[in-house]
Amino acid sequence: MKPDTTDAQAPAAPTLWRGLEEYMDSPAFRAAMRDEFPEDAAEWTDPVTRRNFLTVMGASLALAGAGCSPRPAPMRQIVPYTRQPEQIVPGIPLFFATANVVAGYAVGLLLRSHEGRPVKVEGNPDHPSSLGGTSAIDQASVLDLYDPDRSQQPTRWGEGTGYETVLGAVRGVLYEPNGQPRKAVRLRVLTGAVTSPTLADQVGGLLTAFPEARWCQYEACGQDNAREGARRAFGRELTAVYDFAKADVVLSLDADFLGTGPGHVRYCRDFAGRRKVRQNVPAGSTEFVTPDRMNRLYAVEAMPTVTGSSADHRLALPASQVENFARALAARLGVGGAPVAGTLPPEAQKWLDPLAKDIQGKKGAAVVVAGEDQPPSLHALAHAINAAIGAVGQTVRLVPSVEERPAGKVIDLKTLVGEMNAGAVDALLILGGTNPGYACPADLKFAAAVKKVPFRFHLGLYQDETAALCEWHLNEAHYLEAWGDARGHDGTPALQQPLIAPLYAGRSAAEFLADLTNAPTAREGREVVKAYWKKWYAGAGQSREFEQFWQESVRLGVIADPGRTSAQQAGLAGNWAEGAAAVPSAPSGDNYEINFRADSNVFDGRYANNGWLQELPHAVTKISWDNAAFVGMETAKRLDIDTFFRWTAGERGRAEVRVVELEYKGNKVKAPLWALPGHPEGVVTVHLGYGRERAGRVGNAKDEPNADGKQTRGFNAYVLRTSDAPAFAGGLAVRKTGGEYFLACLQGNWVMTQIDPISGRVIHRDPVRRGTVGEYRANPSFPKIPPTAAGETDAITHNIPGPAGKGEAASGTQYREGSTYGPTHDHSHGDHGHGDEHGGHDSRLLPLTMYHPNNNLYPDARRKARRWGMAIDLSACTGCNACMVACQSENNTPVVGKREVTRGHDMYWLRIDRYYDGPPGAPDGNRTYFQPVPCQQCEKAPCEVVCPVAATVHSADGLNDMVYNRCVGTRYCSNNCPYKVRRFNFFTFQDWYTASFKLGRNPDVTVRSRGVMEKCTYCVQRIRFAEIAAERQHREIADGEVRTACQSACPAGAIEFGDLQDPAGKVGRWKAEPTNYGLLAELNTMPRTTYLANLRNPNPDLK
Amino acid sequence: MAQIFPKAVNPVTRLLVLGLPMMFGATGVGLAAFYRSSYATGVDEIVPQPVAFSHAHHVGQLGIHCLYCHTSVEESHFANIPPTKTCMNCHQEIWTGADLLAPVRASYRADTPIVWNRVHNVPHYAYFNHSIHVAKGVGCYSCHGPVDDMNLTWQSKTLLMEWCINCHRNPQENLRPTSEVFNLRWQPGATADGSPQVWVRADLPNYGKNPDGTDTTEAAELLGKPRPDNQPELGKVLKELYHVRDAVTLIGCSNCHR
Repeated sequence: MKPDTTDAQAPAAPTLWRGLEEYMDSPAFRAAMRDEFPEDAAEWTDPVTRRNFLTVMGASLALAGAGCSPRPAPMRQIVPYTRQPEQIVPGIPLFFATANVVAGYAVGLLLRSHEGRPVKVEGNPDHPSSLGGTSAIDQASVLDLYDPDRSQQPTRWGEGTGYETVLGAVRGVLYEPNGQPRKAVRLRVLTGAVTSPTLADQVGGLLTAFPEARWCQYEACGQDNAREGARRAFGRELTAVYDFAKADVVLSLDADFLGTGPGHVRYCRDFAGRRKVRQNVPAGSTEFVTPDRMNRLYAVEAMPTVTGSSADHRLALPASQVENFARALAARLGVGGAPVAGTLPPEAQKWLDPLAKDIQGKKGAAVVVAGEDQPPSLHALAHAINAAIGAVGQTVRLVPSVEERPAGKVIDLKTLVGEMNAGAVDALLILGGTNPGYACPADLKFAAAVKKVPFRFHLGLYQDETAALCEWHLNEAHYLEAWGDARGHDGTPALQQPLIAPLYAGRSAAEFLADLTNAPTAREGREVVKAYWKKWYAGAGQSREFEQFWQESVRLGVIADPGRTSAQQAGLAGNWAEGAAAVPSAPSGDNYEINFRADSNVFDGRYANNGWLQELPHAVTKISWDNAAFVGMETAKRLDIDTFFRWTAGERGRAEVRVVELEYKGNKVKAPLWALPGHPEGVVTVHLGYGRERAGRVGNAKDEPNADGKQTRGFNAYVLRTSDAPAFAGGLAVRKTGGEYFLACLQGNWVMTQIDPISGRVIHRDPVRRGTVGEYRANPSFPKIPPTAAGETDAITHNIPGPAGKGEAASGTQYREGSTYGPTHDHSHGDHGHGDEHGGHDSRLLPLTMYHPNNNLYPDARRKARRWGMAIDLSACTGCNACMVACQSENNTPVVGKREVTRGHDMYWLRIDRYYDGPPGAPDGNRTYFQPVPCQQCEKAPCEVVCPVAATVHSADGLNDMVYNRCVGTRYCSNNCPYKVRRFNFFTFQDWYTASFKLGRNPDVTVRSRGVMEKCTYCVQRIRFAEIAAERQHREIADGEVRTACQSACPAGAIEFGDLQDPAGKVGRWKAEPTNYGLLAELNTMPRTTYLANLRNPNPDLK
Repeated sequence: MAQIFPKAVNPVTRLLVLGLPMMFGATGVGLAAFYRSSYATGVDEIVPQPVAFSHAHHVGQLGIHCLYCHTSVEESHFANIPPTKTCMNCHQEIWTGADLLAPVRASYRADTPIVWNRVHNVPHYAYFNHSIHVAKGVGCYSCHGPVDDMNLTWQSKTLLMEWCINCHRNPQENLRPTSEVFNLRWQPGATADGSPQVWVRADLPNYGKNPDGTDTTEAAELLGKPRPDNQPELGKVLKELYHVRDAVTLIGCSNCHR
């Protein structure tokens, strides 16, 4: 085909679209696509007040002064250590193993520390819950450490006091003056879910010392249903651990196992290992599969999640109907004793037979996973199905309950509130991790009840809603400041070690309890944890010295504890189906179903003051800074409510939405309504965790009232939540209010769609190439087929630079001798849209090269240039956002705030585009695709030619360098970038003044200021670091020695990076796959970043 | 109408035809010269310090090696400013009562660091790395000058970007055998007693050893042989020997700016 026609062949319908405006090709959308930047992007739209006039003037004067200084480099000071700590080499970071704990479950981490300041989170490859991957929440946890809004001192009724005073007060209540415990004290300890062996041991000690004491573990979004379900199924408390590496067929029953919950980082890795399809797979590989071994995921879910979006088949059902579906399926599978199913909608009926057949055909290699928001009866049913299909012991491993719950001493929150109301509680100790003052079901009225307790103490990171209810508050140490331990999803203990001394002299729960109980020997955090493990070690019957074991465990961050991680033999209890209620009827008419979900960013509200997580667009909805009430397309129509983007006035990320009032059991809340493709009808999903009133500067919106007019971020969905229906319930009323609200939504920012200036047609670039395994088998090179034009050549997909000398000018691509790319390239398909010999693509393309081909520069073969490149496997990417936060953390990217996001000013160097395929109301759900888009490091970079000051130029190893200190801010480069990956500092987004944030920045990356363009450079600081280390030793950089921040954070291992010049390099092998394609490669930009097409494995019987 | 300019102005006009461009030119040259002047760059300016530490005494007279204090120069971007403890290693034994050393003792006692004034101010957006320069045979002297002659330390080179780039374009002019990197008096040519300088193991990459412990071909070729006795020839050999990359790679922006 002709090389210069980009839209000659319209892509086969359906095309990809991001938002409904784009799908409908609305005039506003077309108008918006004409301009690169929103019209008034650079305007200062804040009202001119005296204060901000002075700020601006002050800054101008200061700048004027700075410009006049004749001395280019002002004198600075240099401060050495007094005594330099052992092992610290100034300038060389150290890594320490620790673990982040979310709702009790640990993910092992390696923290990078620069001269004693923890800066960057990496996954711990030795910890089974991480295997080197991390989640967005893990990545962002380091920002919490430096949060200036953290509680900084002990308080009594909000007034500052001392630690000894607080401790004395608590001891005075619990102990006689002679140190004997007052046995009659009705003590209640309220914590989040606890898996920490040390803490459990300490609380256990309290419970023994005080016979009347009880322990309440409350998690707003915890594992209560899963635990109760396992208890019903097996008659005792067990935790199910899934092995997705062994599963050929996976059925998710409203389970977001790739996006939230214990072990999701690990599950993502295992699952992706069965999605990354390769031509040749070494035997025993856990990383890749051949097409015939690709797994198949069926997802039945309500709110679209990253799991459902990655599924081969997704069925949108109201959460209440999922159990119905599971019962019908159980009947098909012949599971004995399963309760009878009710009626199912026709699209669900259609699923049952093909699904049952598929599962039955894969006995022992199929698995059914039930979601945490589903009732215990469904969990029990899922276990029964797993037992029936032979999954238990194969794809499901049952381990002893991971959470520490001493029998007979644990009460639930409802009981606790009842006791408090009855005046049966003398002292309440609330230890960190739980915030019942905010995250409590509305009907329990915790705030009123807690006031009846005479003595209330709170240990926490923040002066939050719960702290405000307590007389005594003690500031807690962040996990990076304290010793501790916690178990991962499979029970493996991880040790936490502090990276930095407590910034505000905070105490960990373990330290506080040690002081409280006047522990005779161990009082300091390390001693407390060590003492526990010493005791454990003595019982474990090991032969080595304890000290040796301890040092090794601290270094690794992991302890092997086979007693808690090995599979348990457990048969299905006879009465597993007992207590299963009839499934409620599906929502209909004006009787809506409300569906509560933990938020993927701020979780149950505990991360509400974390700017990175607040600004992070939600994976599926792309909304940042807010929650919303999500409904299906038809429901929105029935409510006569539309969502529209205000594309005019230059605003792209600004979505104008209608406000509705949600009423459930007499409780009301006002919420912005958002129609979401793939959401079931008749259901309203609300996310918990927003609407915090005492979160901090980020979590409370001082100048940005929510839909209800309150000064909080988003609305508080806990107001509607009741203890009898914590996840979903019918009987919700939805009323229009006539109010309007705006949401910041990134689906409208950085759109690559363009309008052909001549024909006026929208050019659909087909950014995500996708196909089924069947299509792949028929033609593995299917992604290279048109509509992509001439750019789809070997040179582009493999990134071999243009003419290679020796008289070859302008004739084609030169392959290196013994190149991995040349020989493995398969010519037999004949579908490449170009000639069938190397270099047979259109020769007119080559003279466009702006650069000297690299391989000419190095006559000496030993010193060949490196050529960095990246490949991203779209089959593995789940859109979980971990890479975005990792990039932000590594590269000191600022948080801009909601208003700036609506103006298209978000600063993410790496964005994840979410596309839909198919009409929004399709019964089987329209398919969702995610595509991470960092700078593509084009070899023929359009941005470079337009820069008037040469601030963006190519380096010899093929990076598209961005020189911040040379940039004058013309923004021509961004205008000319077809991928829209450049970000401009329209204002001083970076917080230059908050002292604690200065500690947390990466010292190897410039902190950019106003007026400077910035973008991804493949983490050039990491490249140069490794390069210098290698060059000093006169060796080559090993494959995998440089890992970009996004690559190392990715739980799915979907990103590969390395030197294309290395014939054995992984990235080269990825790029040699037939599914490899360049994004917008038809523009002849020769991107160094390429993508492996998204493959799905649909069931041919399920149409 | 009367003429505005009398005839007497004509010579002035003629002068201006030539003079205006010259004035502009001179202003440009003047600004460029000022920019490079020692006033603007701080070259040769003796920087006051809280403790009058003398390199001339410690290095020149006592012969203490650079690495004794600047410990991380071979492995990190930062050469390290010695902690107070390093001073006290000797000064808790000698000159224990000297007034000159009072701030050092105070620092050690109170565990508060000595705040030195930076002599070499590289802008914060330039990420200079000491270790790679040392590994590739750029001597301390090339950038820091005769430190063993300095009482209070001064800056001997401009540290302007053009100065960096000049060397990155022609690194061979400043390369020396790695065994001589810390030698502030080294010159190419003969040794003091007139015998020629010969290659030693410390001049070779990885001490001339392959990973398996055998000698590299370079070691077999060079050890014990005389080094070239002039910089142009020696520089060429060293550039090859130390795998110093070509000018295009060496002046890449992201080497120093990111």
